[in-house]
Amino acid sequence: MTVKSYYKVGRRPWEWRLKPDGRSERRRTRPPGTRRHWLKWRDVHNPKSLRRERVLVDKMPLWWTLGLVSVALVTPFLPNSLISVVSIFCIYASINVLWTLIVGTAGIFSLATLAVVGAAGYVAAAANVYLGVPWPFMLLIGPATGFVFGAILAAPSTRLDGLYYALLTIGVAEICRVFVLQLRALTPTSGAITQVDSFIPEAWFLQRPGLLLGFAGAFLLLLGALLLWRLVNSERLGMLLRVARSSREDEAFAEAIGIDFRRARLTVFVISSAALGVVGAFYAMYYRSISPQIFSLDQLLLLFAMMVIGGLGRAEGAVVGAAIVTIIDKGLVTLGPPRIILIAAIMIGVTIFAREGLTGARAQFRDYRKRKSGERRASRTEKGGEAMPEEATEVHDKQELYYRRFNKRLRERLKTLITPELIEEHRRDPLGHHSDDLARVLNFFRRGEMADKYVIHRMQPAEERFRVMAVSGVRGMPPRVVDDREYTDIKEAYHAVFLLRVNDLLES
Amino acid sequence: MDLGLVVYALNLASIYALMAVGISILWSSVGIINMAHGATFAIAGYAAWMTTGALQPVIAGAFGSGGMANVVMAMALCGSAVVAGALCGVVIYLLAFLPIHDKPNFPVRALIITLGLNIAAVQGLLWIFGPRSQGLPKIFGFGRWEVLGTRIRYDQAGTIIGAVIVMGLTLAWLRYSRRGLEIRAMMQNSEGAAYSGISRQITALPVLMLTGALAGMAAALLSQTIFVSPTAGVIPLVKGLTIALLGGLGSVAGAVIGAILVGFLEAIVGAIPFLGQRYVLFATFMFIIAVLIVRPRGIGGLLDDTRE
Repeated sequence: MTVKSYYKVGRRPWEWRLKPDGRSERRRTRPPGTRRHWLKWRDVHNPKSLRRERVLVDKMPLWWTLGLVSVALVTPFLPNSLISVVSIFCIYASINVLWTLIVGTAGIFSLATLAVVGAAGYVAAAANVYLGVPWPFMLLIGPATGFVFGAILAAPSTRLDGLYYALLTIGVAEICRVFVLQLRALTPTSGAITQVDSFIPEAWFLQRPGLLLGFAGAFLLLLGALLLWRLVNSERLGMLLRVARSSREDEAFAEAIGIDFRRARLTVFVISSAALGVVGAFYAMYYRSISPQIFSLDQLLLLFAMMVIGGLGRAEGAVVGAAIVTIIDKGLVTLGPPRIILIAAIMIGVTIFAREGLTGARAQFRDYRKRKSGERRASRTEKGGEAMPEEATEVHDKQELYYRRFNKRLRERLKTLITPELIEEHRRDPLGHHSDDLARVLNFFRRGEMADKYVIHRMQPAEERFRVMAVSGVRGMPPRVVDDREYTDIKEAYHAVFLLRVNDLLES
Repeated sequence: MDLGLVVYALNLASIYALMAVGISILWSSVGIINMAHGATFAIAGYAAWMTTGALQPVIAGAFGSGGMANVVMAMALCGSAVVAGALCGVVIYLLAFLPIHDKPNFPVRALIITLGLNIAAVQGLLWIFGPRSQGLPKIFGFGRWEVLGTRIRYDQAGTIIGAVIVMGLTLAWLRYSRRGLEIRAMMQNSEGAAYSGISRQITALPVLMLTGALAGMAAALLSQTIFVSPTAGVIPLVKGLTIALLGGLGSVAGAVIGAILVGFLEAIVGAIPFLGQRYVLFATFMFIIAVLIVRPRGIGGLLDDTRE
């Protein structure tokens, strides 16, 4: 006896679905203080089992949790050099996530991100070293500086658009670098502020406990950046900007329906600048120093490469890109300059082939597959009774499509069978024993749909007078009279119906 | 203001103009903001250094060390820099234009690819030649002219004259040749140009080669004043971009005026005692940002307004 094996069919056979009790009420809780739900649960009906199912439509939170938890669990067991690589990854990733907020959510193409980080870091470090402010206050001075700097930077963004603003911000970063290098007080250290106090005790600095503490701080920083990203995007501000962006061609439209998208953009810009200020202060504390290197074009380009490789404007892209670039840049230090060339090559390759970086590759592949299958379907289907591809996507019952195709092919074949001899054969003997061809044609006619099916009406009172009618196909609707010819012989009437049907078949 | 300052300002302006005009033409006709312009600059400098290094004994053998040898050397230097710049333009065309010019989001993606090319080229040069600066032969010789009581160095004069000649030739080519007509049509309205049968794909190649050659020429001329190094392209790139922006990004006349303005500004700020050289860059950027906030379309926009 052979064992039958069943295959799971459908698009997502392994998708895990909750099966809630059909009688229970649907309860959805919201985090306090927010008006949105954080997980996108949707109730659906399974058309096969007719049961209620609950699906997590957006599975990104799942992947985020898995990824972040694995980073947090694995890192404490790594060697010292790798722990610092992971910490740097966390810092870069949080800068990138905040940058994504500016580029993606606010839609301002700013390249002055590192300038904000650096300026805040410098001010916080200077306050600590020269004014003796204790280190916890650096985490307040940083965002305050970032806020002010962001507000100054945001001002021209309303007047300049897109790439113009991007070029301008490169200039701003350069100004910062030159300005710091020119400061007379910092000349002995070539522009760097050293001996910054930190949350890592001095004795632990560059020791294993210090590195672990640094990693913990950097990880918290990344979590904070992601939380901010999520908050801004899921609350009203992000929604306004999404609406304004979906009507990008006509920003006047967004304004007309009452969205002050310029203001929303600037708000997001300033918020993320303040957050970048926190990162700047953290940066100065993590390294216990800060140098003009942070303003350099190379550093900026490295971070930009991360965003581009991962996917511009996506948080997951920012983090994935940061991981890839940090591994190549810091993990393969022994390679020397070729590692930067490798990063540049990846960046160029990704930009040429992927529309939205590596994390957008899946959606791009799906679009491509959809387009190709549409093209194939269009080339496969012919016209005439069959569903056109555009219509086919609308028809829910796919069996209908196959029935139509079958019907069309059948009609094509039967048309070739209709000959004067066949009609003559039917006229001679409508009810007799027929040839194979005629039997096939008549079988097709018998199976026809009820709507507009021809019938013979024996006229009242009962006598040999017949006429041809067509039934409506709708219960309660009387049949209509096809023509006013009357037949005195039932065989003649049979043949008249046959001729009408042949006519319909040949015309179809 | 004394004449020395004017000459210094014009010297700066001519280099900046060569960079900014290239960036400007490229943006308005093809739609690429070429971040690899700095890399082109550096590569052309290295190409000139290698060529002249290889040809030095040959030229010395053939022409001795007279004026003729100097002329040949100058031609070799400029020629190799220009050819290398044009070749860089071809590479940019193949990587940053051809694969993606009809894809969505072209300007940003082209910007990213040219950025990647810039990083790769700079790191490649660092890898091959090391970070040490290289001096090129002085084609204009050492020495000064006494004009109206001020001394003008030969290299300054040579740079100004060379840049003016090259710019003149470029503008004349754009003005009078068939290809130049096509490029100008694309600069005015690329869709309209496409409707009248000008192929974007075919026209983009000479544009990229031309702008690359301009960057190469700038490298050859600037190498008379400063040394060639892998990162030599960064400052000209940033300045060229911001000056092109000041000029309105797309207007050749605007870029030239912007370059002259910035050249004079830098010379003046550098000469003011209490500011000095250390605030030159700062002042330049502040000036450009101020202009852009007042006139977002730069000097080119101002020119358009007066024309209307």
